[in-house]
Amino acid sequence: MHSTLVRGQNVFGFFTTVAFCVAGIIAASVFLIPQAPSASLQLRNVQVVKGRPHYYSPKREEYAHIKFDLDADLTTLFNWNTKQVFLYITATYPSLRASEPASSAIIWDAIIPSSSAPWHTNHYIHPVAPSDKSATTKGKKNSSKSKKAAKKSAYPAGELHLKNQRPKYQITDYAGRIANRTDAVLELHYNVQPWVGLLLWDRRSDIAMWKGLEGGRSELFNFPGLKGAAAKKEDLKTEKGAEGHRLMAG
Amino acid sequence: MADELLENVRDALEGQIDFEGQRLAELLTTALLAISGIIAFLYGYIAQDIASTLYIGLGGAALTFLAVVPPWPLYNKHPIAWLPRQSGGTSGINIQVNGKKVN
Repeated sequence: MHSTLVRGQNVFGFFTTVAFCVAGIIAASVFLIPQAPSASLQLRNVQVVKGRPHYYSPKREEYAHIKFDLDADLTTLFNWNTKQVFLYITATYPSLRASEPASSAIIWDAIIPSSSAPWHTNHYIHPVAPSDKSATTKGKKNSSKSKKAAKKSAYPAGELHLKNQRPKYQITDYAGRIANRTDAVLELHYNVQPWVGLLLWDRRSDIAMWKGLEGGRSELFNFPGLKGAAAKKEDLKTEKGAEGHRLMAG
Repeated sequence: MADELLENVRDALEGQIDFEGQRLAELLTTALLAISGIIAFLYGYIAQDIASTLYIGLGGAALTFLAVVPPWPLYNKHPIAWLPRQSGGTSGINIQVNGKKVN
């Protein structure tokens, strides 16, 4: 500690130690905050149509278009160390051969920011429920204000009420045929991304003060047969929340 | 003239402090950083706001740098009393190292 340089090195060295220890304590502190995520996920409608992976592709594949209802209360996942929660819904269906594992594909996902996360264009903005929509259109006089309100989620972070939600992604099997496959199930999954600490996956089992995810699994369903020209294009649209980023394909 | 100026600049940059000052600087480094870390965590946990933890921690570190790194006069209060200059080398004085006489 005799000279400026040595003192500077010493202070910085001990600062890194303190920063690491505080980060470790923060990461451990979330175990003291109880969690009880719950969700209810139901299939609304499923259609299978012919399509192609992109416009110029000569390959014709079958695509399943799955609409669903989701009511979720994941608010307890948001504590002081939560940056964002990545939420996704998979459709899982068994393989045709018993020796092969089941296939799983994501039909919808969302990045739900916590209040401490800075704004980002990819953050999910919960759409306003149809019943509330009339209330916002009434106050249309102040158009700039209603526009701003439309950019905010309709519910607090972690609460979702989606009715007849369109999928974000149409799915197909690796073989390109998904019609008439049986025993599929929709499942809600999530990753909790903290500011410091471990990335946490969804669980069904309890750990100390953390309850596992309750519900969030639909009943078994079968993919229907191919729907030809009878399928309306309007019914097969994909959709995200009201966030700024748009899908480039699909 | 230029040499003298350069010497002054070197002294200012080197910022030497005395032994008592070094002990105090060491203590202050440990205490200030540890306390600011504890306060940062407690405040952030109570306010449920991780950004305040970050800023209190960084502020505490900046304060510690400011308090410890420059050679403040506080750290030079106990200058070492060297022996007076001898004209005839070490001949007149008795120097002992580990109880043995050396010259």
